[in-house]
Amino acid sequence: MSTDTSPTVPSKSNSLSLDTLAVIVALVLALAVRFDIFRNVPW
Amino acid sequence: MASSISLTRVESGNPLLNALRIVPGVLLLAGIGYAGKILEHSVNAYAKEHHWTFPNIEYVLWAILIGLVISNTLAIPRFFQPGIATYEFWLKLGIVLLGARFVLADVLKLGGISLGLVVIEITLSLALMTLLGRLFKLKPKLTSLLAIGSSVCGVSAIIAAKGAIDADDEDSSFAIAAILALGALALFTFPAIAHGLHMNDVSYGLWAGLGVDNTAEATAAGALYSDAAGKVAVLAKTTRNAMIGFVVLAYAIYWAGRGQAEAVTNKATFLWKKFPKFVLGFLLMSLLVGFHAFSKGQVASLGNLSRWAFLLTFAGVGLRTNFRDMSKQGLRPFIVGALGEILIACLTLGLVVGANRIWGS
Repeated sequence: MSTDTSPTVPSKSNSLSLDTLAVIVALVLALAVRFDIFRNVPW
Repeated sequence: MASSISLTRVESGNPLLNALRIVPGVLLLAGIGYAGKILEHSVNAYAKEHHWTFPNIEYVLWAILIGLVISNTLAIPRFFQPGIATYEFWLKLGIVLLGARFVLADVLKLGGISLGLVVIEITLSLALMTLLGRLFKLKPKLTSLLAIGSSVCGVSAIIAAKGAIDADDEDSSFAIAAILALGALALFTFPAIAHGLHMNDVSYGLWAGLGVDNTAEATAAGALYSDAAGKVAVLAKTTRNAMIGFVVLAYAIYWAGRGQAEAVTNKATFLWKKFPKFVLGFLLMSLLVGFHAFSKGQVASLGNLSRWAFLLTFAGVGLRTNFRDMSKQGLRPFIVGALGEILIACLTLGLVVGANRIWGS
């Protein structure tokens, strides 16, 4: 990236919590889909 | 360097402020993704209307290309970066939701084939990268990181291994740079080679999942070929990701044995800590669909949500790829990575073609 040229390495805990967050958000979305909240969305 | 965007940490004590900081970048990702969709439709419609022979360019490629053009020609303001860094979250969210588009039997069949191929791929890749690292006299821990990154799952594996084998930040950055640069090249070379070889969707998806290291690039490389190939690529790549704990554990034990890393006291805890939890989410979603928790229309909605999550990911892949910054990284790690990747790509291609003959997939 033009504004920052030094690669940085994140902590392990970040990637783990990201996984859990992704699963939780997916389940919330699945629940919303189950109740037909997205039924009329023009994808 | 590309990784500087993708790995920038959002640091603030205030959760609300953190949430607000990601908004501009997420909007940029969504804008690029949506522009990709509009371009796909309008370019194809225009070509059809004017009777042009124009290749059908999918929104995936448009989103990546727009991101690439922006990141390589403009200085993206810093306030976009926390949001751009969320591309990895969208990737994992997309993969979990994609589980809904797999029947569990397919997961078990394709996953079983993938697992067999993954074990062979990991063994050969580790041996090959270690050999190349020694030949080119790379630092041993850098060689370990490159081997782990190219055999398992790119950047995540390198990050997971960094702490476990007590590697330098500099070595990790070199390895990440090499893996990302090669992933960007694979985006364009893999689909072109597969078209040349007239590969079917399943074979190509398996090849992309086995041969492309970073999950985002493997997903994009699969989707660039076809929707079906994209699904198989994600499954194969997810199987590969699931092996991360075992490979990192083996390296941690090796380096601890040489007194250059902390000893692993509880192997089961270590494996669980390293296991990518989104794989479980993917399986859970497939299981829910298998138990008819969703109607047909609802499964289609989940598939569309997954596609949208991937769209943001692909925009992020383009945005974080900066060729000028990549060229500033060390040449030797890149050469070792490139040589290794080319050999691994040939090897995995051979494995997939062989598997196709055996299982007729």
